[in-house]
Amino acid sequence: MTTKIAVLIFCVFTFTHMAQANTESGKTHLITMKAAKLDSGQLAYQMVTHKIRDASGQTEDITHQYSTEPTIPGPAIMMTEGDKAEVTLEQDIKGSNEPVSIHVHGVHYKMDSDGTMKVFNHTADQAAFPGKPYTYKWTAAPGTAGTWPYHDHAFGNPMLGAEDKGLYGTLIINPKGGKVSAMIDGQIKQVDLKDIKREFILWMHETTFWGMELNHLANRQVPLWTNPTIGAREDELVRFHVIGIGTAFHTFHLHGHRWIQPGTSHLVDTVNIGPIVREAFVIKAGEGVGPGNWHYHCHVLQHMQSGMMGGFRVIEN
Amino acid sequence: MTKISKLTAAILMAGFSGSSWAAQSGVDDLILSVPGLMPSAVLEMSDEPGLWFKDPVDGDALVVLKPKQAAMIKMTDTNTEHTITSLLWPAGAENFPVDQEKPSSASVTQAFDKPGLYVFTCKVHPYMFGAVVVDDPDTKGLDIGKELQLVTGAKVPASSDIAKRLLRTFFVATTPSLWRDYSKPEWDVSLPDIPLNIEGNTISLSALSMTMPNELKKPATPGVGEVWVNTQFEMIEGKKKAGTATRINTGDWNVVSKFKGVKEDMNNPHNMWTDKRYQNIYQTAWFDKKLLTFDRVSGQTYSEVVVGESPSHVISRPSDGMLYVAINAGEQVVKMTGGKNPSAQKSINTGPHTSPHGHYITEDSKYMVTPNALAGSVSVVDLNTDTNTEIPTGGVIPIAVWGTPNGSTAYAANLLGTPPLLSSLTVIDIPGKKKLKDINLAADYDPVTGKISGEAYGLLPIQTPVSPDGKYVVTANTLSATVTIVDTATNKVVKSLPCEPGCHGAHFGMKKGGGYYAYVASKFANDLIVIDMDKLEVAGRVLLSDLKDGSITAHNGMGGQGILPLPIVEHGYLKETLKLSGKGELSPEVEGWLNALTPEQKGI
Repeated sequence: MTTKIAVLIFCVFTFTHMAQANTESGKTHLITMKAAKLDSGQLAYQMVTHKIRDASGQTEDITHQYSTEPTIPGPAIMMTEGDKAEVTLEQDIKGSNEPVSIHVHGVHYKMDSDGTMKVFNHTADQAAFPGKPYTYKWTAAPGTAGTWPYHDHAFGNPMLGAEDKGLYGTLIINPKGGKVSAMIDGQIKQVDLKDIKREFILWMHETTFWGMELNHLANRQVPLWTNPTIGAREDELVRFHVIGIGTAFHTFHLHGHRWIQPGTSHLVDTVNIGPIVREAFVIKAGEGVGPGNWHYHCHVLQHMQSGMMGGFRVIEN
Repeated sequence: MTKISKLTAAILMAGFSGSSWAAQSGVDDLILSVPGLMPSAVLEMSDEPGLWFKDPVDGDALVVLKPKQAAMIKMTDTNTEHTITSLLWPAGAENFPVDQEKPSSASVTQAFDKPGLYVFTCKVHPYMFGAVVVDDPDTKGLDIGKELQLVTGAKVPASSDIAKRLLRTFFVATTPSLWRDYSKPEWDVSLPDIPLNIEGNTISLSALSMTMPNELKKPATPGVGEVWVNTQFEMIEGKKKAGTATRINTGDWNVVSKFKGVKEDMNNPHNMWTDKRYQNIYQTAWFDKKLLTFDRVSGQTYSEVVVGESPSHVISRPSDGMLYVAINAGEQVVKMTGGKNPSAQKSINTGPHTSPHGHYITEDSKYMVTPNALAGSVSVVDLNTDTNTEIPTGGVIPIAVWGTPNGSTAYAANLLGTPPLLSSLTVIDIPGKKKLKDINLAADYDPVTGKISGEAYGLLPIQTPVSPDGKYVVTANTLSATVTIVDTATNKVVKSLPCEPGCHGAHFGMKKGGGYYAYVASKFANDLIVIDMDKLEVAGRVLLSDLKDGSITAHNGMGGQGILPLPIVEHGYLKETLKLSGKGELSPEVEGWLNALTPEQKGI
């Protein structure tokens, strides 16, 4: 009996240990960001350094990919299932001593990385103060692949965060297998992420799109600000990440293109986006419709009338 | 006003180049996207007095940009809906005017091309002011422009009297330290020495400075009863939102009490009404969605009901005591039961995009008349059938209506006139449901030179009650800071009296021994003006602030808007109260007021 239990315990231990080893990539993202004030008085996150340390201890510095200034939306952090991140936030908001934090969605983290204040979490202030950075630890555990928002959850009164002022950004967790499903040429296919050269991030806030392009050809994140024109060449595979923030509910619509809702074979060309709701999808630019200045907009009439729109410029090859 | 010092810096830094992190595409063939506008400045619309368009950098209502830069105006800091609308802009400016058709929470991001002054407002709350100055770094002084275009279509030289008045008013309205505080010996509008470029000439902003003595005076003859005034900008400890209702005893002209609505966080209380027993005060929260009901004497809150976006005015129908609440950011008047817990019975549509503001009910209870701020119309609603007839008037922002005691004629104040008239009242035949004519309130004013050649000098009219004897229309004019008095027999301005900056609310109360007082309250001052209607003269100025009340944290007595004098002077209402007299239905205090009235005041 004792032996059996001992074997069982051993097995469980080994299995668990092995399982962990299998799901971990060994990569750790060492990130330092700051929260800063723009000239306009809005607040924004800025990447300070982003290094990736692999299992052997070697590090790769990818900081150059980011904008050198604070942007709305904030830096898009890209990880892969199995990666971990240590994200240090600095409070660099001119003229303010208030706490600022990062509260992330989707990935796993321990209680002390929640990014909330003691008044709400009854444990401790998990926020950066001027001269006192705070470090959050995230695990992109199996099953967390997807596009997620991160945002401040501490600034302002009553310390619930300054999303409305611009403190939000995008976290993209790519699946471990490196493939995402998409409707391409009339069939659901597994698209290799390496074949995607342009990604468009569009945040829907009140009646404005705030954009950012991840351009893998130039290896650069390009801030696109408000209601931008996004561009690609015909037949290129591009990925959209559409995320809501604020209080308004939206319907994102892209002309001339359709996509499958993640995890389904359901084809759509419009999607409901409420606050912090997101949708990521891959399309082939101009598929079946050709080049042109395709329109994208919020289909809530009043939002549309208030200029919540932009162009998707598909250039002929 | 923090901005003012910054403006100097902005001018000194004229050579400063654009932001280093603007559009990066175009230089790189790999990137095919074209960035949209990046706001170089933001104005956040708020419920905070004076700071209705607030620059998050320094809290001012004015931002300075260089040509080609963009500003974003957004509404993430307010409890109700607004429009973002250009009030004035440099004539010929590209992509102007900006005007949102109906109230919402929508933001605007706008690029500015032509140097000069751009003032924005909200058509629902038309004293919310924010400004963008687009300054060409290569010219001397801060660019105001050459010719300014007003939302009414009028174009005026930037050096004209009207343009200067608007500029000074902008600074006074958006700078609480420049409001007229009657607890101090003088009113000092001291503007800093900032060079302005007006039509190519450099003029200092300080040229618009002025000083006036503050003289309070209690009227020699007391009134009967009390006057409630919405001191809409007063800030109270424990409350995030602004505003109180101040109760004045007209026997000694002192403040009796203030209803503060701390628990409810009452937000910008704008206008009040009461029931026929004078037990309840009904209070609209104009920058919010609620109607509050509180006890007139104890100040206890009975109820708080969500009625719609930006409820502006509330009034009852004399015959049945039903309440009618104008939904200023909507297109309806909500009909509610009276009592301590009003409950909505019906929504009376006033027409598409109407935004009714200060409505009126005829004393015979037959009709309701609404001034439709966004539609340039007046609606006459038959209260027996609740059917609406919308009458286009050509007025720009019709904001308040009142009528003659016999219910035949209504006068609608058009805040921005009836083009080409700069300032006007529209006369309406109520039963005939038609417009009769416009009265020019500024016939004796030259907007370019500023010369005033007679009594007709009233700019930006707001509340406009008709005297209980039907003889006069008294109008509070917010820009000229004058009260105009129109003789209803001739429909001409017969008198113009000085009031305060942001002159706004007006209504009549009983004068002891007979006759009436007109009470006038002003947004950017803390006095209540008392006008003797027998003499058409100012009888006194009464302080609305309570200097002993330590819970008032700012703007003591400021923000004067809605006025409710009790007893109500209109005979159609008063007779319902008089019917209850001597039957144990009224409080001894109210019985005392009624006993003090003359037969003429009682309407018998």
